Amino acid sequence: MADQNSEVVSGATRRKFLTVAGSTGALALAGCTESSSDDDDSGSDDGSSSDGGSTNGGDSLSGVVEITGSSTVFPVSDTMAENFMDEHPDVNVTVDSTGSGGGFDNHFCPGQSDLNGASRPISDQETEQCTSNDVQPVEFEIAQDALTMAVNNDNDWVDCMTFDEMSQIWREDGVENWSDIRDEFPDEPFELYGPADTSGTYDWFNANVIGEEYGHTTNHEPTEEDDLIVQGIRDNVAGMGYFGYAYYSSNEEEVKALDVRASEDDPCGSPGLDTAKEGTYPMARPLFIYANEEQLQRDEFYEFMRFYLEEAEKDLVSEIGYVPSNADMVEENLQKLDEAAGR
Amino acid sequence: MASEPTDGGTASDRPTLTMSISQLRGRIFELISAGATIFGITVVMGMLVYVARDALRLGAADPGWYLVFFWTLVVPSLGMAGYFAVRDRAAGSVAYAATGIPVIGILVAGGLVIVFTELIDPQEWLALVFALVVAGAIISAHQRYRPQATFERLLVLFLTPILTLYGIPALSVDRAITTPLTGTELFTLSFSTPALLPSVRELLFVLPILPAGWILLLGTVTAPLAYGFGRLIAARRDDERGRLELVAVAVTVVAIAANIGPLVGLSAEGTILVTTALLVPTLTYLEGVVRRREGFAGLAFPVVLVGGTFVGAVLATSLGFASPDPWLDWSFLTSAPSRTPEDAGMYPPLVGSILIVIVIAMSAFPVGVGAAIYLEEYAPDSGRLGRFVDFLEVNIGNLAGVPSIVYGLLGLALFVNGVGLRDGIVIVAGLTIGLLILPIVIISSQEAIKAVPDSRREASYGMGATRWQTIRHVVLPEAFPGILTGTILAMGRAIGETAPLLMIGVADSVRSVPDGFFDIAAAMPAQIFSWKSELAPEFRTGVMAAGVITLLVVLLVMNGTAIVLRNKYQRE
Repeated sequence: MADQNSEVVSGATRRKFLTVAGSTGALALAGCTESSSDDDDSGSDDGSSSDGGSTNGGDSLSGVVEITGSSTVFPVSDTMAENFMDEHPDVNVTVDSTGSGGGFDNHFCPGQSDLNGASRPISDQETEQCTSNDVQPVEFEIAQDALTMAVNNDNDWVDCMTFDEMSQIWREDGVENWSDIRDEFPDEPFELYGPADTSGTYDWFNANVIGEEYGHTTNHEPTEEDDLIVQGIRDNVAGMGYFGYAYYSSNEEEVKALDVRASEDDPCGSPGLDTAKEGTYPMARPLFIYANEEQLQRDEFYEFMRFYLEEAEKDLVSEIGYVPSNADMVEENLQKLDEAAGR
Repeated sequence: MASEPTDGGTASDRPTLTMSISQLRGRIFELISAGATIFGITVVMGMLVYVARDALRLGAADPGWYLVFFWTLVVPSLGMAGYFAVRDRAAGSVAYAATGIPVIGILVAGGLVIVFTELIDPQEWLALVFALVVAGAIISAHQRYRPQATFERLLVLFLTPILTLYGIPALSVDRAITTPLTGTELFTLSFSTPALLPSVRELLFVLPILPAGWILLLGTVTAPLAYGFGRLIAARRDDERGRLELVAVAVTVVAIAANIGPLVGLSAEGTILVTTALLVPTLTYLEGVVRRREGFAGLAFPVVLVGGTFVGAVLATSLGFASPDPWLDWSFLTSAPSRTPEDAGMYPPLVGSILIVIVIAMSAFPVGVGAAIYLEEYAPDSGRLGRFVDFLEVNIGNLAGVPSIVYGLLGLALFVNGVGLRDGIVIVAGLTIGLLILPIVIISSQEAIKAVPDSRREASYGMGATRWQTIRHVVLPEAFPGILTGTILAMGRAIGETAPLLMIGVADSVRSVPDGFFDIAAAMPAQIFSWKSELAPEFRTGVMAAGVITLLVVLLVMNGTAIVLRNKYQRE
């Protein structure tokens, strides 16, 4: 019985509600002014407002471009994405920092991402993985980085190191104490901070400085986050680590960068954009992006690539902390792009 | 929770000999517990203050700025608070509510504005509401005219909403069916049907003329909301008045505001949503204060706060004091992430997180509550099957403790590699985190259902009710506040979950707002994580802190909703 009662009560209120809703609806209809048939997508003009007059008004480009890969290339790709989206707000360019190898293995070669940044050339194994998934990688060299070896600010015993010394420290089963490198160094164990093995920086360092015949030490704190490397070095007098120059250039006061030389006979070169460009810094290395050839048929991706390769010559790259492409590289890249896209 | 009074009762009955000893131990234990509480709260508060200092960049302001605001804002409000605490307790609680309700109103309005600008436009919303009203009307009509047809009612209950919302759409399937995980192709499914029955939702768009968006919002948001709050007023009063009055006042004021808003550069829709969310709850509360005729003085408190801020701002500007330049400001909330710290914003991740939470709620809540009801009410509790159920329950408990990164891998394997959905989209993120909190939802719902006394169930059975009727009318209403609280707290955990998002490939940097559930989205915790590894130090200290505070506020709003809902249902 109580149930029935409540039913009646709720029925009554529902009816009243309908009356009220109906009458307000009728009022609303009476006050109606505007015929609305805008079925077109109005959600596209989002927060990314284009400042400046560079808006291409009647632009028809839309779609998604997915970028993955090296954390070293991430700042460049992200800047390109932001600037490109200022001009083409309907193209959603997403950038994820996964490490060069992580990007190839998990995203680019399975066909999930369109573009992969890499701080080393693609490996044969990765090329194989890509082609077995019908993904043809197209390589573009877009900038140069000066890989930076850094120590604690209070480290006053070392300023310059040779490749051989670094190799002894960073190889598998290498030396454990600073004093094992040179006798005048203090008897302190190394605290090593470096990238994880998904990183292109790791691979490049292993191949070019440690030497192919040795493995990279596993006795370091591996991370994909450069700030953790810097934090570790900053907090440990015996700390040592390496990362891309861009990170050092925006955090110069936190750690001390070492000069390096390939062998005892060479002069020491300090990390920097000029030295990397001149070729006097031995740990300068090229940065690459790899595009999925098939996807280049898509207009928005092709246009983005054009934009990327053209802009790679400009100052925005050196502001981030890398050596921009030179005019020859840009020309070569654009030619390669048109060839791959068949235009 | 409920054992407090019995402790107090038995302590006095004990012999005097043991009492002195147990008192000493008890005192020490009390002190230790108090110490732990104070330590915990201080540490957490300290962290919050630390983050807030970075987010608001308080160090950038002149000492004079602080002095001005100390005299215009801090002193008057503290003075009033002191007066309320000592002299006028009733006014104090009025002040508390009268300040809090508009603040919550503004936060809710922010959520509504996001929903109506990004997710659904007013016309679609009207169509949705209209379709649901039609469905509701059909269901209640069926209930009234054919009360005996139980099976038919079940059909009507499920099919009507689907038909009104979707009709019988044209289906076109062309998809290779593969076995999950291994990906071997079984056969290709390919067929298409013409649209048989348009949905009510679509029918509405056939109309040549639809009212302007703001009028629609007035009718579909302001009026129903005011009616709902009006019912609260009517329930509090003895004379059952207040419903239509509140609707009339709210609609009039909001309509006027909507016409003024565009003159000062606001959108009419936005003005409607903000004024509605501010006005309706505040009016409801004011009516209560006026009718009770006590604590009027408390109403001055929010006025002093707003006035003090205003006067302080005017004074500080005219005296030329630099104000703090907070990272967390309006443009931070409304713009997209950027490489330049000053331009960086959090709008796309904010919207992304809200969408993800919607998916989580829609997936984890029904499944979790359903499982809890089955396990508590239907599942056998003896015999071999009973032991199996016990085994299941133990393992649900274990699942609740599995690290979130494992769920991330599970989501990657299941939804991205298995089902073949794109990585980094809203639905994958939502379903993955939905799986993550599912065990928590099940366990907390089970606890809430367990807490319903058996005597209630037996009384219901004794009156001849079936098991379904008992669950529907006795158990669920009683357990609902507990279920809701547990679920929303689990949602709070879900919105801050980062590791699974990284596993399923939610990108570090997404500048577009997602268009729907199958679009690529950013999420707040993932965005905070990627700011942490940015090159420029401003990102790692300032922008990230602002992001953390935003996430915390969203979380507080969710937990606040949980508390309000729980209180509301417990009172009824």
